[in-house]
Amino acid sequence: MKPLRLLFAPLLMALATTASALNLHPWGLDFQLQAGLNIGGASPFPIPAEIRDIKSFNPNLNLALGFTATKWLDPSSKWGVTSGVRFEVKGMDTEAVVKNYGMTLMDGGKELSGRWTGQVFTHYQSQQLCVPLLATYKCHPAITLHLGPYFAYALRNYFNGHVSNGYLREGDPTGNRVEFDPNTQAEYKFHSALRTFQWGAQAGLGWKALNRLVVNANLEWGCNGIFQSSFKTISFPMYPIFVNVGFGYEF
Amino acid sequence: MKINRLAYLLSVLPALLSGSCIAPEPANSECDILSVTLPDDDMLNNAPSIKNDCVEIVVKSGTPIESLPLTFTLTPGATINPPSGTPLNYRTPQTFVVTSEDGKWHKTYTIYVDVPKMVLEYNFENATLISASGGKRHYHELYEADSHGKRTLTWASANPSYVMTMQATDPHQFPTYQSEDGYDGKCVVLQTLSTGPFGAGMGKPIAAGSIFTGSFNSSVAMSNPLEATHFGENYPFLGYPLSIKGMYKYTPGKVYGETINRQWVERPDVTDEFNIFAILFATSPEVQYLSGSTIADPSNPAIIARADLDPSQRSAASEWTPFTIPFKLLPGRTIDRQKLASGGYNMVIVMSSSLHGDEFKGAIGSTLQIDQMKIECEQ
Repeated sequence: MKPLRLLFAPLLMALATTASALNLHPWGLDFQLQAGLNIGGASPFPIPAEIRDIKSFNPNLNLALGFTATKWLDPSSKWGVTSGVRFEVKGMDTEAVVKNYGMTLMDGGKELSGRWTGQVFTHYQSQQLCVPLLATYKCHPAITLHLGPYFAYALRNYFNGHVSNGYLREGDPTGNRVEFDPNTQAEYKFHSALRTFQWGAQAGLGWKALNRLVVNANLEWGCNGIFQSSFKTISFPMYPIFVNVGFGYEF
Repeated sequence: MKINRLAYLLSVLPALLSGSCIAPEPANSECDILSVTLPDDDMLNNAPSIKNDCVEIVVKSGTPIESLPLTFTLTPGATINPPSGTPLNYRTPQTFVVTSEDGKWHKTYTIYVDVPKMVLEYNFENATLISASGGKRHYHELYEADSHGKRTLTWASANPSYVMTMQATDPHQFPTYQSEDGYDGKCVVLQTLSTGPFGAGMGKPIAAGSIFTGSFNSSVAMSNPLEATHFGENYPFLGYPLSIKGMYKYTPGKVYGETINRQWVERPDVTDEFNIFAILFATSPEVQYLSGSTIADPSNPAIIARADLDPSQRSAASEWTPFTIPFKLLPGRTIDRQKLASGGYNMVIVMSSSLHGDEFKGAIGSTLQIDQMKIECEQ
């Protein structure tokens, strides 16, 4: 992730300076460079009964960098279509207490499957290229509203963690009971079961706070679960639900 | 700074959302017998041994086992049929079905109630095929039976935890199994095996084949292996033991190795050795069995007599070879004959294909076969 971030920042800065110096509006498009943070998580909705308590939740500092272009469709520039591309990270760390939760513990490529009751630590991170396709409406000279779908392709996916302080019933709830005390953690890794293509709905607004500076806030609600539908270990779908907050520089 | 504060505020939102959305706790899915009580605690010779699908209870001689009401505690919300407290005849084992609180899961338990009976001969002629991993894996549980076929002693092994290594599907791929190739009829085979990537990841790269009197608690085998072995549990011994005898074959594995700092280190200069030993120990309310740690404690006052192989007796043998190991009283210890007759001592017998298998030292492939074993007692 670091190299990408390093690559993007100077590139965007260079673009921004050139574009603003030239005051570019090619093809009658309004360009905006954006940087922001994604805060949220991958969550089942509603929360299933297997999850008994959420001990901690860390949204992490997830970067989003990209640009949008808006084509105004009417002479008064009230209605338009906005698209673009952004590189973004969606992720979270959680620690939950679960009961009878489908789990496959892995070690050296081998598996131990069953129902877990106890603590589960989860790290989720998806590094994506995301293309929104939004209807845009300027309801006030300084406020623009957006609504539409987004399509994301994951470059890298991580979903892993460990369990402790509990027990696994091997196979099903009648199976052998295997206990793990606080000192014996067992790892799990579900990276390869994550989807590479995600889509969802995006809704939000931009507020022109200064001449060229826009404050953006968007809700991105995933419509397909983060896992491939063939993945059955976690018995409920988890949806990526994130709020993106950031700034835009308008040319 | 501002962004951080904003991020923090927004992060509280999903946490609050999820906090308020925790669903009511679902009904329990488990259907375990957690404890068993008899009408009178004094009837018990040993604490009941509760496993995942069976319970073994040894009661004192004279307990009316023809009509014994047992009381169970179960996973909260679970039910049992026949109901708790129903008097049943335990001359033959009885089965109970426990149903989980959510009604979706059932487990059948077999309950054995026995009076202390001395088993002196061990022929390894009987084995139950135990199914694990939803029927994908099967291993042997060996037991001794009387002339009517009634189970008198169940041998314990580490097979239940070898299931987790995913290395074996058939009985002969497990560290402990019954073979047709005995000295007379069938015999037990103990083999030292690799535990594969799962075991290596846990710092336990090999599993020595072992069999012992007592029980194996596989639920703590990962977290605390020394406490998983309950040596001598539920095996009261009523005679004054003189020696343990039998027939064996032994082939050491090719490459000996040791586990140092969780890593496997080969030691081509060492040849693996097998082990057979027996211990008579005094039981008390506190001591119902010897664990992996208390058995190795030389100052343990419960240990009264031991039978250990002489180092010269541990050699390889490609043909059936007899062995005799005398019992020796530990210095300053005596066997109280009155306590002996009332079931106050238990017997540990342990056999292993690698002498130091408990420390994960040995040679993969070491194979020990044993048959026609017996303990000779004073007449």
